[in-house]
Amino acid sequence: MRLFGKFALVGAAMAVSTALAIPASLAEDSLYLPNLAYRTGPFAATGIPLMDGQRDYIAMLNARDGGLNGVKLNYDECETGYNTEKGVECYEKTKDKALVTQPWSTGITLQVLPKSNVDKIPILAPGYGFSPMAEGKIFQWAFNPPASYWDGASMILKYISGGNLDSLKGKKIVLLHLDAPYGKEPIPLFEDMAKKHGFTFLAIPVGVKEMQNQSAQWLQIRREKPDYVLMWGWGAMNAGAASEAVKTHFPMDHFIGIWWSGHDGDMKTVGEGGKGYKSISWSVPVSDAPVMQDIKKYVLDAKVNTIGEGEFDWVFYQRGVLISMFLTEGIKTAQEHFNAKVITPEQLRWGLENLNFDEARIKALGADGMIAPFKTTCADHAGHAGGWILQWDGSKFVKASDLLTADRDAIVPLEQAKAKEYAEANKPWPTNDECKM
Amino acid sequence: MLYRTAGQFKTSYEADFALFPVRQDALLLGVILLFAWLIFPLTASDFAFQTLLIPVLIYSLASLGLNLLTGYAGQLSLGTAAFMGVGAYACYKITTIFPGINLLVALALAGFFPAAIGIVFGLPSLRIKGFYLAIATLAAQFFLVWLFEKWAWLYNYNTSGAIQVPNIRMFGVYVAGPQAASITQYYFVLFVVCLITWFSINITRGRIGRIWKAVRDMDIAAELVGINLMRAKLSAFAISSYVAGVSGALFVFLWRGAAEPNLFDVQLSFRILFIAIIGGLGSILGNFLGAILIVALPVVLNWIPGLFGFSIESAVLQHINTMIIGALIIFFLIVEPLGLARLWGIAREKLILWPFPH
Repeated sequence: MRLFGKFALVGAAMAVSTALAIPASLAEDSLYLPNLAYRTGPFAATGIPLMDGQRDYIAMLNARDGGLNGVKLNYDECETGYNTEKGVECYEKTKDKALVTQPWSTGITLQVLPKSNVDKIPILAPGYGFSPMAEGKIFQWAFNPPASYWDGASMILKYISGGNLDSLKGKKIVLLHLDAPYGKEPIPLFEDMAKKHGFTFLAIPVGVKEMQNQSAQWLQIRREKPDYVLMWGWGAMNAGAASEAVKTHFPMDHFIGIWWSGHDGDMKTVGEGGKGYKSISWSVPVSDAPVMQDIKKYVLDAKVNTIGEGEFDWVFYQRGVLISMFLTEGIKTAQEHFNAKVITPEQLRWGLENLNFDEARIKALGADGMIAPFKTTCADHAGHAGGWILQWDGSKFVKASDLLTADRDAIVPLEQAKAKEYAEANKPWPTNDECKM
Repeated sequence: MLYRTAGQFKTSYEADFALFPVRQDALLLGVILLFAWLIFPLTASDFAFQTLLIPVLIYSLASLGLNLLTGYAGQLSLGTAAFMGVGAYACYKITTIFPGINLLVALALAGFFPAAIGIVFGLPSLRIKGFYLAIATLAAQFFLVWLFEKWAWLYNYNTSGAIQVPNIRMFGVYVAGPQAASITQYYFVLFVVCLITWFSINITRGRIGRIWKAVRDMDIAAELVGINLMRAKLSAFAISSYVAGVSGALFVFLWRGAAEPNLFDVQLSFRILFIAIIGGLGSILGNFLGAILIVALPVVLNWIPGLFGFSIESAVLQHINTMIIGALIIFFLIVEPLGLARLWGIAREKLILWPFPH
């Protein structure tokens, strides 16, 4: 009992001292950057490396430069477990002081997207979310740099056709997709392209409940004998598809995934058998890039944060770093333009609308070769950077193509039509008429 | 002392039939209603509305729907979420086919679709009972969610396959959609929940409720005293599904704002079943107590470390939270297997006998 009393005393003392310490840290200028992370739940395996990368880049900036222009970055995770309900809880909890919303799931994005016009907080959904979000005049508060799913789909088509889409005439392309808003995203574009270029397109959905057992879907693929299988998969679906493809002896180099289907952890489960599998990606892991070495030096070696073994070289970890870089560059741009240290969400929106990742900037950031140059404007919230094909060599992903860019002329009309449709269904929907681009 | 019933004489049959024959019960209810209608809305923040008040009310209503079926009529169901989904999709179709329709009317109409489907899936209950019936309702659960995914007409051929709630106005104020203020949504939900709760209390006390209870306790005996089992069971399915459907429409329209088919997955059914079981089967009050424990407590627990100035990593906090809630569920079920409502019933009994409780 006396021992317990002592513990209680120490505990109380600690509580008091930390409570006293808080006002001091609040008084300092800081930028609050919440992240609706998922380190638990069915998709945790893919979430953890991404969140680690995001967290560590910001920790590195705080340690190396003391934040951004002298303002500390307060990165804060709110755990959602990829659950929409928890996501909304997190959004409501953080929105009063949040500079940005990073929803991290298409479901949560769909929930917060209509609220963005009311709450006026930019949504940053790099490489995911709703493809028409790129249409900045209609989706004023949503950003999906550096490329949308439709860009990704177009890049893949360009790659398999060798640059000339008409050469796909008569071929058969199967899309194996998660039966959720995310997986259905590219279907309108593929259907459109199939009509235009004369290939056969077939979508095979994988229900969330059947992610780990896709034998029925692969039986259908075997029967259909497609020339290519494309995949929009997530979480356990990726590993499930890879092992089924190995089992059915599908030629791995004709099996291509979107950027979220190129996770080292998923492919490790099939290892050598998955050799040849490809995935389009707007990011390339370059472990000896200066920015990565700085993270190693200031964060990992300094034991500020710890990550799993080998995670440092993963595609997803380094992609997380780039995602935080989009955000901090947006903040920096806004700080310079408005000549302010602590910026508001409205100012950050301007910053994200004027991102300029040109060759020189990328080099200065120490991310040379990790990402292709792109630029956002008030009309274009994605930037539409190019991507590369990454190929699994049995133990890691390696770059296997030159820079591919999306066929924007084919995508823009569709993007505008769908964005208008969305605004129409959600009347009254304010649009940005000041933007004259 | 607080609950002394001595001296409260009933001098007429009406007084004896009253919903709350004990004066203190009526007073307590009055205080709760005062909080719900005045004090909470005046003091709550957006966060409190969106994560505590509105969801607790909606989950209570869903659980009430299940409780009418399982707690009163004794028919075990694992398909509540699917019936909620039917309500939500029906409301979505009604509001998009007839834009400008009053949302209350749309909600009231939307309830009839799950009621009809509830009757269809209730038919097996005439032949099977208990766990076997649970499997039949589970079939409804899987079939309906599959239908929400495949039948593109239901979501207006939207590419994402999800439904988005449009901005809906009532008397010039936005009640649903992103433009709606939390406080209007809260009052809307509160009104519907109060109305249905009042209706349910009366229905369970009256003839229909007694028929259901007779069927629950022993169906053969009930049949022998002249109760039409088919009518009793199917009416339970219909009314329960109606309530669940309305709660599903509220769930999407007044709270979530968007829904994908997976939202109405079996997990949601289980969650509602937990609320009903922990709150207490065969009670109205229990649904509200259960919803507070299952829905609101985790949100509150997430705040506690912050209040004391501890910073715990969000993922760790989530794990701790799950463990605490799990432990509490087990604790409450050991202390009182009949649920929180029964726990309150015992406490009330003791208060009435105070200072000599036994």
